[in-house]
Amino acid sequence: MENNVSHALYILQEPVQYMALSFMALMYIIKIRQMLKKPIPPEKAELKGDRVAGALESLTNVLKPWSMESTRKNPFFYAEFLIFHIAVALTIGATFFIPLVPFLMTPAVSKVFMLFMGLAFLIGLRRIYRRLTVPEIKIISSPDDYFAISLMTVFFAVGFVAMWMWIDGSPDTGWMWIFFLLTTFFLLYVPFSKISHYILYPFGRVNHGRTFGGRGVTNRNVKNPTWNPK
Amino acid sequence: MSEQGEKLGAKEERKWPTKTEFTPEMLEEMEKLLPGTLNRVVAASLSGCIHCGMCSDACHYSVSIPEDKTLVPAYKADRFRKWYKSRYDWLAQVFPSFVGAKKLDKELADEMYDKLWGGCTMCRRCTFNCPMGVDYGMMVRAARGIMQKVGRVPQHLQDTVDTHYNAGNNMAVPQDEFVETIEWIEEELQDEEGCENFKIPVDKKGAQYFLTLNPREPKYYPLTIQATAKVLNAAGVDFTISSRYWDLTNYALFNGNDPDAKQFALWQAEDVKRLECEYLLAGECGHGYRALRWELPNWVGGVPFKITSVMELMAKLILDGRIKTDKSVWDGHRATYHDSCNIARSGGITEEPRIVIRSAIEDFVEMEHNRENSFCCGGGGGALAMPEFTPRRIAAGKIKADEIKATGADICLQSCHNCTDQLKEIIEHYHVNAKVMNLAELLAPTLVL
Repeated sequence: MENNVSHALYILQEPVQYMALSFMALMYIIKIRQMLKKPIPPEKAELKGDRVAGALESLTNVLKPWSMESTRKNPFFYAEFLIFHIAVALTIGATFFIPLVPFLMTPAVSKVFMLFMGLAFLIGLRRIYRRLTVPEIKIISSPDDYFAISLMTVFFAVGFVAMWMWIDGSPDTGWMWIFFLLTTFFLLYVPFSKISHYILYPFGRVNHGRTFGGRGVTNRNVKNPTWNPK
Repeated sequence: MSEQGEKLGAKEERKWPTKTEFTPEMLEEMEKLLPGTLNRVVAASLSGCIHCGMCSDACHYSVSIPEDKTLVPAYKADRFRKWYKSRYDWLAQVFPSFVGAKKLDKELADEMYDKLWGGCTMCRRCTFNCPMGVDYGMMVRAARGIMQKVGRVPQHLQDTVDTHYNAGNNMAVPQDEFVETIEWIEEELQDEEGCENFKIPVDKKGAQYFLTLNPREPKYYPLTIQATAKVLNAAGVDFTISSRYWDLTNYALFNGNDPDAKQFALWQAEDVKRLECEYLLAGECGHGYRALRWELPNWVGGVPFKITSVMELMAKLILDGRIKTDKSVWDGHRATYHDSCNIARSGGITEEPRIVIRSAIEDFVEMEHNRENSFCCGGGGGALAMPEFTPRRIAAGKIKADEIKATGADICLQSCHNCTDQLKEIIEHYHVNAKVMNLAELLAPTLVL
């Protein structure tokens, strides 16, 4: 696919993005460093389980909907979550692939991206509706929650149309401009938003896995008692 | 030693200065205390919530009282989180209300008091259902610790801690009265058929197991001690009870005061060393087990003895063939088992109680949610020591009462005294036809001596 873009769009797609990305990385480094400076609660008790195995088990929890009752009982919600986050990865991926390796973005590949973006857009709309209407979700929602999901939903919609234009052989359209402007905003805004929760995910999951893995609550692979009889 | 025995507990008596309202000075002090409570688990838990709402079905409060949406775990935790964000969230420094941040004021502090003392038992069921791994138990305990330090703590809960601090056990049982009670229980035990030679040794140096008790046992439930002693004697276990620090409870786990928690743990650790026992043996008590098994070594910086529990020991004795049972004793009865949160979810003991139960009774039915998925009965986190929240506590027990009823069991087993009291109350309140018993009480009558 030979899609040529204007110099102005090139600047938005590459130097501006790199600067925004560098800013985001810097913010994340600071954020991670702040968290790493916090002391870890000690564990001097004789362990029943394996803290490392527990942490690994806990980190992969996201891929095991059966591991938590909340996802076990809500498979549709979990499927939405999965599609939404795959779409996030693909949409962000598209902003790199389009300027850097455009030849990879064949019509077939682009259609897969579009499919996920389209589904994620619909899921985003449903999540906004849920946040507005389900009382227990509404009561815990802050403006940032609404803004974050709305931003993502718009991002998917714009990405979807931009990809459509891309497949159509029109890479330098207003939609592509909006797509990359949104990406720039996204990179600058996310470190300050709840969207950056993926930076905190490993901390929460590792803490959980170390604690409960060590105590033999999780990653228990035997039905027998967890103590070691003398 | 005085007439009532040796003075146990702290040398100087103390009454924690509690307050009935937050004052500006207290709020200022809380601001100073916040940074010191932020270890990595607490900080990640305060930063990590994405408001997905997955915790709403996980909490016995929000499930049992669905009309009150402010009992959803994320909402309750947000009372603390709003304050945290106002100090540490970057965006909140410019647009606080945008991220839901709020400076600590009396209104927010009052909400924290209501929701984190009276609306959470720190059972961690939401923690196990949180995709982000937010540890609500640790976070709520941190918030409680801050409030307690400035004096805003439920009076009865603090009284319980103060009593422990002043007397060495949380019911101020004098040493001589305790020893007399144990001697009386021993006599009662020896009156049982086949138990003539059974003993309940007190302060026996070099015994293998240092058995600890919940003060409710010598005070109100001596038959529990008798049943436990019968099982241990029948198996030939070498155990002793201390006349000094026999109380395994540690209500400082609930009020969040680490120095007190450490002090109680130290007394007990020193007593185990004094009697040169190999094992510190936790009796049937939920938070007591967790406090000894998982927290004590951290509070005192490691211990030279092992720590286990009666639940685990009884299971071991059964598996090793050291006790024989006759299940027919309980024929015509059906039992179910309530997993105490601190024993199962926070303690890792899920199969051992079932080994004991299956050896003692034929008809055993699991509740819908069991093991680490068990709902809290509503009596955890010190809830029974907060009478100002009693109506909410009873209401929050509905899901557990419903699950017990659904099993059709006439015996509801558990291994925790807080659970015992709460289960008895909700069983009566929700008209469930079941008797509450602990594991030793189930096992002891079935022993073939």
